[in-house]
Amino acid sequence: MSTVGDRPIASPVRPVSGGVARPARPARRVRRRRRSMLPLFLLTPAVVLFGLFTIAPGIYSVWLSFRKTQVGGGLLGDLNPTEIFAGFQNYRDAFADPEFRHSIERMLTVAVIGVPATIVLATTLALCLDAKRARLVGIARLGIFLPYAVPGVVASLLWGFIYLPATSPIGGASFDYLGSRAVFFSVANVAVWGVLGFNMVVIYTSLRGLPRDLFEAAELDGAGELQIALRVKLPMLAPTLTLVTVFSLIGALQLFNEPTTLKPIANAITSTWVPLMRVYADAFVNNNIYQGAATSFLLIVMTVAATVIANAVVRGISRRSTR
Amino acid sequence: MRTNHLRSVAVLGIAAAIAAPALVACGSSGSTSDAGGPVTLTYVNWDGGMQAVVDQWNKENPNIQVKLSKPSGTGYTLYNKLITNNQAGTNPDITEVEYQALPALISNKVVVPIDQYVGDISSQFDKSSLAQVQFEGHTYGVPQNICPMVFFYRKDVFDQLGLKAPTTWAEYAADAAAIHSHDPKQYIGNFSAVDSGWFAGLAQQAGANWWTATGTTWHVAINDPATTKVADYWSNLIQQGLVSPEPNWSPQWNTDMNNGTLVGWTSAQWAPNQLPSIAKDTAGKWVAAPLPAWNAGDQTVGIWGGETEAVTTNSKHPAEAAKFVKWMNSSPEGVKILIQQVDVFPASLANQTQDALKTPPPFMSNQPDYNTLMTQEAKNVRTFQIWGPDANVTFDSYSNAFASALQNKTALSGALTQIQDATVSDMKQHGFSVSG
Repeated sequence: MSTVGDRPIASPVRPVSGGVARPARPARRVRRRRRSMLPLFLLTPAVVLFGLFTIAPGIYSVWLSFRKTQVGGGLLGDLNPTEIFAGFQNYRDAFADPEFRHSIERMLTVAVIGVPATIVLATTLALCLDAKRARLVGIARLGIFLPYAVPGVVASLLWGFIYLPATSPIGGASFDYLGSRAVFFSVANVAVWGVLGFNMVVIYTSLRGLPRDLFEAAELDGAGELQIALRVKLPMLAPTLTLVTVFSLIGALQLFNEPTTLKPIANAITSTWVPLMRVYADAFVNNNIYQGAATSFLLIVMTVAATVIANAVVRGISRRSTR
Repeated sequence: MRTNHLRSVAVLGIAAAIAAPALVACGSSGSTSDAGGPVTLTYVNWDGGMQAVVDQWNKENPNIQVKLSKPSGTGYTLYNKLITNNQAGTNPDITEVEYQALPALISNKVVVPIDQYVGDISSQFDKSSLAQVQFEGHTYGVPQNICPMVFFYRKDVFDQLGLKAPTTWAEYAADAAAIHSHDPKQYIGNFSAVDSGWFAGLAQQAGANWWTATGTTWHVAINDPATTKVADYWSNLIQQGLVSPEPNWSPQWNTDMNNGTLVGWTSAQWAPNQLPSIAKDTAGKWVAAPLPAWNAGDQTVGIWGGETEAVTTNSKHPAEAAKFVKWMNSSPEGVKILIQQVDVFPASLANQTQDALKTPPPFMSNQPDYNTLMTQEAKNVRTFQIWGPDANVTFDSYSNAFASALQNKTALSGALTQIQDATVSDMKQHGFSVSG
């Protein structure tokens, strides 16, 4: 599971592929055989690596998800343990376990808190930085972006100290930041803190790309800074915001670092708190890689489904905004 | 997102491709040398001070050189890695294994029997230690240490309140109330949901047998009456707010241990090795006493921790590896360094009277007879008949179920049922024959 180490909530955003103009077809005069070999040759390293390290392990893990170990003879089953075909048992077990459903619910709870917070804060900060009266923009932008450079694990440790009563500078002694309900906000907070800067930069960049004369026209018509921000800039940001939101949602599916790091200090976080933690626990704590493979395959299906829906939404919105 | 993702996968792949030969080289270095020539063995162990033991061995055995390395993670992080790497054939020759994990490693064929190399060790160890390393007539390791559970308390605080170390659990509860009512911020201890081995030790004292085996049939009884009694006892203390529900090993816990919020710790023999990093300002203030008993006069205690060294299936030199293991854990010379450098209390009976044990660990300098107490407690140890082949599942389930129970303020005995079910269903899934 190479996704395990990724940062949750907001994943790096890339431009929509549909927006890139396709290169013109090569002229008819170019000879065919010249055309055919070079691209293939250049593509080979990427294709080989992709095949070796993404496709092949992927197929292998799907294969594993239909297997299980069967102990051999003897008390400890060590005489001749074998790997046997398990059918859909691992998948059935995953669905039958209420903990799997709960882990998805908990992940969604964190997403419902974290994603809107990220988007609203990032947009507000970007609009503030873009305002005419903003000063020290460069330093402020760097300051807001900086947490993104802090690795998720380090950020979680840091926040762990901030939450714990004994070391808390923010009143942890009188408020339980790691309580049953508060823990969702606390985890979301760490994630938001980490990715806010990145999203802000994306929105800010998009803002800078908007035609300035529009704002001047609005100003001449008597609109104040706030009105320009809310009524002119914000609507024009719609495609960017949608994009950032859907990718943040997909990123939220990969929530892992923050709860895993906070687990040893919080009774409220179990080893199966979110789906990826469950995959990890299955494969590397309970030593059942087959169950882990099945659960991660289910998670991949969910992620792909979310991506397809997200892409459809993004396409719909960008089509509407270009009309 | 996908593009970046792919890129990182590719980079990782390349890195792995470059690193792989190097790793393989580390894993089996020397193992390919010709028989008769010098042999190099690789050995993983995470205990501090172990290098001194290895250095001494290397000095005396130029033909069997041992290379010590620290694993990237301790406990099950290491064991699961060993199980995975076993198929690739890249395991070190010798590994540290905590007693409760040995059956799982045997079940996965990660370690080999070493009877033919170490001979009969039965006379050198007591029954409970042997039970940790002998299965179905085979010996899989030489036990290194015994870790009887003991009660550590802040003598200064107890003296101030006119309290003595509790000798029974009823007294412990009374002391807990006295301490907490004198200062509502103070607790006699905490109930940790992250230490399954700790709770298992308490259950052993009460007479529990989580796993028993008849022939090749397993019987699992994690929610038996004895364990339920222990769970109910702690549930009661937690509900009254007399013990703190915080987990061990957190920054919070360290602070509380250091600043006198927690004035007692039901721990084990190795605690003085850990305390300097947990509560460095309290050196000389802690005293160890026998673990409180369920019935006055009953001296039975459980164990928390303890390890053996085992030889892996991947090792090409099991005879040499076993020789080192035996020397380290049962020769007067090897054990002496273990006592002095690793704060070990030896399982080897002959070595329990070593002069090195006459000095207490540095952190307990105020208690000169510390190791005398350990010698006495080591005789009172009661363990499970056998650790199950999936104790890892039990332990993970413990932390989840107990943490949830503490968080939701529900009875701990309910959590025991969850652990029992998780353990039994995992064993059945793997094809073990389980009754009850």
